[in-house]
Amino acid sequence: MKKKITAALLAVIMAVSMAACGGGGSSSSAPSEPAEVDLSGNYTVDTLNVNIWDSNQQKGLQQIADDWTKESGVKVNIEVVDWDNYWTLLEAGASGGTMPDVFWMHSNTVQMYMENDILLNLTDYIAADGVDLSKYYEGVVKLYTRSDGNVYALPKDHDTIALLYNKAIFDQYGVEYPTADWTWEDMYEAAKAITEGSGGDVYGMAMNTSNNQDGWYNLVYDYGAQVINDTHDGTTIGSEQGKAGMEMVRKLLSVGAPQTVVAETGTDSLFMSGKTAMITQGSWMINAFYTAEHHDDYAWSLLPYADVNGNGTCDDGERYSAYNGLGWAASAATADPNAAYSLISYFCSEAGQLKQSELGVTMGGMEGVSEAFANAFPGMDVSPFIEAENYNLFFRPYTRKTTVWEDALQQQGGFLDAWRDPSDPELMKTACDNAQKIIEDAIAAE
Amino acid sequence: MNKKEKHKMTAAEKREALWAWAFIAPTMLGLIILNFYPVINTVYQSFCKTGDFGKGNTFVGLANYATVLSASETWQSLLNTIKYAIIEVPFGVVIALVLAVFLNKKLIGTSVYRTIFFLPMVCAPAAVAMVWKWLYNQQFGLFNNLFHTNVAWISDPKIAWISIGVIGVWSVIGYNMVLFISGLQEIPGDYYEAASIDGATGIKQFFHITVPLLSPTTFFIVQTRLIGALTVFDLMFMVMDKTNIALQKTQSIVYLFYTYAFTNGNKGYGATLVMVLVVFIMVVTFIMQKAEGRFVYHN
Repeated sequence: MKKKITAALLAVIMAVSMAACGGGGSSSSAPSEPAEVDLSGNYTVDTLNVNIWDSNQQKGLQQIADDWTKESGVKVNIEVVDWDNYWTLLEAGASGGTMPDVFWMHSNTVQMYMENDILLNLTDYIAADGVDLSKYYEGVVKLYTRSDGNVYALPKDHDTIALLYNKAIFDQYGVEYPTADWTWEDMYEAAKAITEGSGGDVYGMAMNTSNNQDGWYNLVYDYGAQVINDTHDGTTIGSEQGKAGMEMVRKLLSVGAPQTVVAETGTDSLFMSGKTAMITQGSWMINAFYTAEHHDDYAWSLLPYADVNGNGTCDDGERYSAYNGLGWAASAATADPNAAYSLISYFCSEAGQLKQSELGVTMGGMEGVSEAFANAFPGMDVSPFIEAENYNLFFRPYTRKTTVWEDALQQQGGFLDAWRDPSDPELMKTACDNAQKIIEDAIAAE
Repeated sequence: MNKKEKHKMTAAEKREALWAWAFIAPTMLGLIILNFYPVINTVYQSFCKTGDFGKGNTFVGLANYATVLSASETWQSLLNTIKYAIIEVPFGVVIALVLAVFLNKKLIGTSVYRTIFFLPMVCAPAAVAMVWKWLYNQQFGLFNNLFHTNVAWISDPKIAWISIGVIGVWSVIGYNMVLFISGLQEIPGDYYEAASIDGATGIKQFFHITVPLLSPTTFFIVQTRLIGALTVFDLMFMVMDKTNIALQKTQSIVYLFYTYAFTNGNKGYGATLVMVLVVFIMVVTFIMQKAEGRFVYHN
């Protein structure tokens, strides 16, 4: 008897373990069959779960979602999961757990999600709904379109980068405010004056290795190199131009906050506590500074440019701002794809986009709706973010597995080596060569 | 009594056996689904180049092991983990033992102190780490402001591993202490009485009675804490930012596993790292078991 039971039990264990070995390919749900497109408003669910990673936007987005709830009768529950854990959770959900119905997609990972049919294919819905994709920012639409032409997310927003400075600190040390004509050299001189003037108590500027899109990426492009090329299969960061851009970064760092400081206290916290006079920031962060304690002291300016040809004016290709756009996507396994699409399409409709802009949540993914955004912050001039679009824009560099090389660049063996000792130009040159190799190796392994 | 003849189970015995199985079935099922299955899957994945979202694994034999074992970061993080254990285990045990001896005496307020020392165990590790992170902060931290220093407690590669170890010690003292107190209460009071009559001082009593008689408890704590320390993750993860220049000199092997398996989505490589750790823990445990007879005094 005992033996039999033991045998039976062993058999169960064997069966389970065999399923484990063979099950690698079939454990997660099969790609969903194309669901019936029905935009008439007959929804089968009463709540949609939405995940985002930015708590600054939760309130505004909930308001827009509530407008949709009035039309549809379906409640929307927006949950914020911080950036790092967002992707871990989403991937776990995609690998066989439950995913939120509707969520944000980002250039870092979207390729992988599209290729594996994790996202709801929106192509038929968009056709039935009559959405004109040409009204949205081209780079963002392209990002969320798979190589076979299917669309998996609608553009939620776009963002640009500007320079943030603390007027009080500039006044205190008698340094002129940043202007639209500033070059990176001018920024260096101002930062130097403040750091030296304060005896190291206040830093002229602060930039972490992790401030890439909102930081050093922009200098790489200003000086004529590319972090990821247009075909997303290579980089020129190790070129002479790339090294020139990073050399400028090194100069700025040599008069900025040391790496030990920025790794413990984020550059935004340092700025808000009056410890640093200048940081570069993305438009998605405006609200955090607008609602900060000393927001009266804060002002935005255009990102400085690189006077590469030395003629004293900003020519084409000398002032870049990174831009990126999130996408609203739905899970392929959502209970009611029609409701999920309807919500997405509402967020991305002209009304939804305008309201997003007016509430100061973010600038639009649709072109021409962002004027209202500049007025959403009475008392704070955020026009540099919109003005940045009159100069050059580059889309946030991405490949199939962006995080692999992006993280490696931020850490030891990447640019961190140069950041820890900005006084040595050779370290930065070596770091550029290493970065070139890191990116090339990562792309080869994708 | 000792007749070894086979006998058929009576109906009652059969029923009993059936019930026994019924009672352990939930635990067995839980173990199989939550432990055995993942273990087997991990072993399997360590031989695979894993695809996205758990799909499309391709068998690559020992390729992952070759990369893991030849990567210097694997050995560095293993060394970091050992360094952490070297701080956490001895200090956590010794301080807890001393506290336990004091709090085992009949003094006023012992229960208050016991509660205070045990409190860290009740706090969520993530919350503990966050508070310590701020205490250590170079710019605004309490330590630097209190002592008027400017030390990069968690960013200087030379001292960051000690700073992390201190948090570990602080977190486990209460738990170790409670185990020690229960061990102390099992030592008969007669020994101490006899020793006092013979003129032994408190310190002599501690080293000649308490320490030997407590050795089974000590051994248990050392062994469990050693395994706990070798699998440390949350402290480093919560306290150290990714761009911390001391990270490479402090990250534990489980942290490295997390980076590869979850941040970079390379489950196969992560699984291999874990297998290396498992083998290492097995070796350590084996040595500990061999050493038990030499150091543990059984009454």
